[in-house]
Parts: sequence; C-alpha cells; structure tokens
Amino acid sequence: MSIIADILKYESLSIVGLEKNTGKTECLKYVLARLPLDHKRVAVTSIGIDGESTDQVTRTQKPEIVLREGMYFGTSEMHYRQRRLVSELIDVSDVTTSLGRVVTARALTGGKILLSGPSSGVSLQRWMGEMRRHGIDLVIIDGALSRMSLASPAVSQSMILATGAAYSANMTTLVQKTAFVVELINLPLADEPLRSQLLPHEKGVWWTDSEGALHEMNGVTSLSQDIHFQGMEQCATLYVAGALVDRFLEKVRQHPQLKHAELVVRDFTKIFVSPQQFRLFTKSGGRVSVLQKSKLIAVTVNPTSPSGYVLDSERLCGKLSEAIGLPVYDLLKTQACV
Amino acid sequence: MRLKDVIDSPCGLRFMLDQLELQSGYARRWLLEMPLLTNERDILAAYAVLRRFALFVEQVDHTQLNTLLFKLQCLKDIRTTIQNLKQRATLDDIEMFEVKHLAILATDVAALLRNHGMDGVVHIPDLNQVIAILDPDGMKIATFYIYDSYCQELRDLRTEMRQHPDQQEELLVQASELERGVRDDLSRQLHPYATAIEQAQEALARIDANIAKARQVQELGLCFPTLADNDTTTYQGLFHPQVKAVLTAQGKTFQPIDIAFGLQPTLITGANMGGKTVVLKTVTLCQLLAQFAFGLPATSAVVAVKDEVRLCMGDDQSVEKGLSSFAAEMKNIDAVIQASRTGCRLLALIDEPARTTNPVEGTALVSALLRILAHTRMSLLMTTHYDVEPAQAHCLRVKGFVDGAMDYSLVEVRDGEVPHEALRIAESLGIDSQWINQARALLANNHKPT
Repeated sequence: MSIIADILKYESLSIVGLEKNTGKTECLKYVLARLPLDHKRVAVTSIGIDGESTDQVTRTQKPEIVLREGMYFGTSEMHYRQRRLVSELIDVSDVTTSLGRVVTARALTGGKILLSGPSSGVSLQRWMGEMRRHGIDLVIIDGALSRMSLASPAVSQSMILATGAAYSANMTTLVQKTAFVVELINLPLADEPLRSQLLPHEKGVWWTDSEGALHEMNGVTSLSQDIHFQGMEQCATLYVAGALVDRFLEKVRQHPQLKHAELVVRDFTKIFVSPQQFRLFTKSGGRVSVLQKSKLIAVTVNPTSPSGYVLDSERLCGKLSEAIGLPVYDLLKTQACV
Repeated sequence: MRLKDVIDSPCGLRFMLDQLELQSGYARRWLLEMPLLTNERDILAAYAVLRRFALFVEQVDHTQLNTLLFKLQCLKDIRTTIQNLKQRATLDDIEMFEVKHLAILATDVAALLRNHGMDGVVHIPDLNQVIAILDPDGMKIATFYIYDSYCQELRDLRTEMRQHPDQQEELLVQASELERGVRDDLSRQLHPYATAIEQAQEALARIDANIAKARQVQELGLCFPTLADNDTTTYQGLFHPQVKAVLTAQGKTFQPIDIAFGLQPTLITGANMGGKTVVLKTVTLCQLLAQFAFGLPATSAVVAVKDEVRLCMGDDQSVEKGLSSFAAEMKNIDAVIQASRTGCRLLALIDEPARTTNPVEGTALVSALLRILAHTRMSLLMTTHYDVEPAQAHCLRVKGFVDGAMDYSLVEVRDGEVPHEALRIAESLGIDSQWINQARALLANNHKPT
C-alpha cells in the first residue's frame, strides 16, 4: 500500500489524532506492522504523557503497542518495567517525565509495550538526535494533539492525521472541521533567514521591520487583554511564539498598519482560532506562515464513535478526500479513496 | 561548610562556578557538596592534582581533549543505584545498565588518561570485573539485558517465543521467573564492587571538575596559590573576575590590587567609589577559591588557611527577615565577635560597619570594634568612612583622585584619617552645583558635617 512507501521517504513521522478514539493507535499499529524492518531501522515513541496522564487517574488502560523484533523504542522507566517483550537497553536519559526517566531500548522479540516518551519539545528533539546517532532511519512519534503537551508533533518531517466520528458525528461538520486542520497543517513555511531568526524565541510576541531587524513587544503575550501596535508602521512580519487566539487575530486584522504584515506562528498546533475568524483574516488579505511544518502524507478515518454511532465509511472517505485533496484511509477496511 | 552553603555569598563565588564548563550535572552536584578544605595537606594535594590537569589541558591537542570531554558528558548520577547495591538489594535491568555504563565509561576514561601519562593523578578503581559480570558475551558495548548466555533455560524459552508468538504471554511469565533468578545472582556478584563503583563515579566527577577548573585558569588568567607558613596572606595583581568582565564589556579596565594582611587588623579608608567594597569581596572570593582549590584571580598569591570566612556587607538581605538594616548588620558583626572568641582561625571582612546610624555613635562603635578584635587571633579587614582611632590597625587607603581620574590602588598610611573627597567626586558626577557649593561653604565656615 502506498502509505508505507510514502512514510519511508522521510526520516520522521508523527501520527496525530484529532480526538481520542479517532483511531490514532490503530493507525500506529497498522504502520508498525507493515514497515520493512529488514533494511530500515525504526524507533518509536510517544509524546502523549501530559495529554493522556488522565488515564492514570481514570484507570482506563492506555493502549499497548505491539512492537516487532528489532524495533527501537523510547518509553518511561515505569512502562519499561511493565514491558511484555525481551529488549536490550540502549540508553537511560536524564530527561524525566511524570513516570520516570525516558529509556531507550531495542526489541529482541516481538511483544507489547506502553509508550510514554519525552514530553517537552527540547527533550523530544534531543531524543530524535540520539536516535540518528544510533543509526535509526525512521523515527515514529505517537503524537497526541493536546494543549497540555509541550512537545509538538510538528518537529517531524511527515505526518498522518487520524480523524473520525469521535471528532464529530455529523459527516458534514466532520469533513469541515478536519479540512480546517488540514489547511493549518499545510500552511507555508516562513522564508529563510526569517525562520532561523525566529526559531530560538519560544515566548512572547515579536516583529521585524522592513530592514529585517527583530523587536520584541515588551510585556505582551498573544493572550494579553490589551495589545497596542504603536510605532509598528514598518512592521513586515509579526511573530506569535505562543498560542494564536481569536482575539489577537482580530486585533491584527483590524489594525491598518499591519495589513501587509505576514503573521508567523511556531507550528499549526499553536493555532487555536475558529475557522470563521481565520477565514476573515485570510479573506482580507492576511497571510499566515509557520516555523515548523510536517508534510501531511495521509488522513485516516475511524467512522465509529465511542458512543456507537457509525458513519458510512466509503462516503466519508470520498467526501473528505475531495475536500482536502489527499488520500484518506479507513484502516479497518484498508482501502484508499483518492 | 560546603561549597553550596556559600555559593550565593555576595563575594561573587557563583560567577566562578557558572563560568566552569562542567560536562556533567553530576560533577556540578559533586562540586557543590565539596567541603571547605581547612587542612593544609588537603589543599596542597588538591592543587597538585589541578596543576597536573592544567599542564594536561595546555599540552593535549583539541581532538583528544574533546574525546575525553565527550566521554565525561555521559557521566550519570547513579547514587541511588549504588546505594541499593550496597544494601544488597536486587538491581533491575535499568540499574544494571547504569552500573555497566559507568564501568565502561570509567575504564575508557582511565585508558584515555593513561595515554597521556595521567594515570594515577586521580585514582579510578579497576572495574573490569564488573564489566565481565554484566557483559557475558564480551561485546564491550554499553547496552544491557538479561543475556541468553546467563541461563540456557532462558535461551531455550526465548527461542520458543520467537517460534511460537501465540504462546508468548505464557512463555514471558516463565522467562520472567528465570530472569529474576539471574538478577538476584548478578546483584550478589556485583555487591562486593559497590564501593569501587561509587569511587569510580566520584573519580570521574573529580576529573570533570579539575579539567573545568584548569580551563578556567587558562581563560581567566588565574594563578595557583602557595600556602603561607606564617599567618600573612599576600596577593599581587588581585582582580575580581566578575567586576572585571563587566568593566571590560564597558570598554574599561580593572586596576589590579596588591594587598597583604596578617593577624593585625587592616583598616581600609578611601573616597566613595574607590573600590573599597570590591577589595573586600575579592579577598573573600580568593580565600574561598583557595580552600575549594580553584585558580585564583591574581598574578601571585600566598594564602594563610582559615577555618572560617565571614563577609559582612551593609546591604544584607536580612531586611526580608524583618530586621532593619542596622539590626541585621549588628547581628552579623556580633556573630564575628562570637566566632573570634572560639579561637578558630577566622577571616572577617566588614564593610563600613554602623554606616546607617549617626556619625557620633557610629565612630564610637567602629573604634570599639577595632579595639576588641585587635586582641584576637583573627584576620580582619574593615572599611570605613569614619575618622576612627586606628588602635593597632594596619591602615590602607585607596589612592583616590589623582589628576582628575580615580586610582584604585592601595597605599599605606600611618593613621586612619579619612580623605575628604566626597564633594569632588560628587562634582565630577555632575551633581547639582548649588548643593555642592552650599556644602563647601558650610565646611569653610567650620560647620563640619561630621
């Protein structure tokens, strides 16, 4: 199936679910079961600890992943001790999570493991760097899309998005909402050297003037109640390191001096604006770009909602594929609609 | 007293620690736990090691140094694991991985240092037996699991597991029983080496710290002290690294200071902005650096070892504890007096005592303090603006204004008479001329402000 061939073109893949029970884990299992391990070294981890630690509280079991012999994986000490396979420890990192340090190991037999890897952006990138040093060809990140998780799946080169009836049981709404996320994932990268200039700044609101000089808006975050754009007549780009919300976007849209400015966000996971507000912004000539971007390879759907409601899989795949111009798979049926 | 207890002393010790390029977090923790060395023999031994590393850092080529530094970056803090091993607990896979990782690291570092004739400078215990226990196949790679080679039955089970994945769950339960037995056995075998493993971890931290200190000596132009055989401390070309860095950034230079003091009190007078406080901070810093075996910011240093060092600055933060600045200061100085009576070798540095009270009582307090402390066996450096009775004090004065510029060097004066340069300095700062002139007129009319 072409989805595997597409994945192998990249060094890293994140699998992101729009909601619980949209089939993210099914998708991960599907991919892991089909990767050709004879000539590729694969490592897998999860960044979902913060987002899914509620599972520790509600005592609902986090899904176990089945690894194949030879796969590398990063998980917490606690989950390593609960592993149900034979594996060789490669590294114990200084990075700690709520479940202990992150350890990296290689599966010597197939078997089940709970994944809970690095939970901050920096530690995730460091872990990915370590994997490269171990000669890993492909890193797969189980990327919970959560406002709680500090690690963004957008650090990976490629991405698969899982959506389904759990996200919305109304097919039209589901297609619209998913298409909006896809639109955000596909936002263009900011140009160099602007990108390298902005990447180190993980907090605050910044702007560059027509000369390319960078200025910080002192004491302002994108969530601030009163934001004034005084003295920014020369503003060429406006960079929001944190969350982009409706109120901020509206202020920018209504400000005459920022009409020609490009709005830059860190990555699509930092955008929390409504489709309506976003549409208004782009329709009035606003441009948005990102510092980190993953190539969206495919979208998978789970037509069944946890409450038992089932959408027509074939129609859903067809409609969604038409809306986003990308292959859409129902992995339980394993057929692609293009 | 440990380094971590004095790290935030206003003398600027933290700056020196922050400037150290330590490779591992464990080395930093180890260094912070280091006690103040008060025994001459220990200090000499520590400097002998540092001198060897200074020479090594100078001579070794970059690639080889980087290889060593990269190794030291891999040093982890496994004290909990070592503690478990000492208490005869059974280690789990992660703990055994840590032990093996450390043992291989220690062996590698020892080999690298041996190649440069540095073996024995810091003793690293031989952990080859530990490696042998945790590396039954002789792979010499720092990875770990309960190897098949430990147990034939386990090997058979795992083979079966691969052949019959459907029975894996059952087989894993059986295997985990066997694995537990192997872990018990390995832990028993490792137990006698617990102390050696602990020593190896410390040795690697010591090596990391010494290389970082040696590089700091090179970068900041520091020196190694000799220890005084009498009670006199002598510094030449003394500077404060942090103040120097700030001045350099402003395009200014730090004027080095020469100073010597023994058991006779030293009274430092001088104009405002003359750097009196910096002298006290720098002397405090040097005393602590010497007794934690760092390079010293001076061209030469002869240091008399002390049991205790106390720096009393007027702007103590005790205000937060609800004390007024005067009360906080009195309490601090009182502690110095009490300490001086214990007979320990004490160095106290007191910056402008009683400065916040009225000059009449202030002068009396400072004169009396000087008299009391002159009769103890402590070293005392004190700055003041008051015209105090110098008693038996050794008096130094910051040179002050010479040809329109500040000269920070210290000159000996016979008495403690304070210079009257406050008005000139204020004038040079561009302070309101009406105010200055009025003050000058008052002085001329013999209305001495004091």
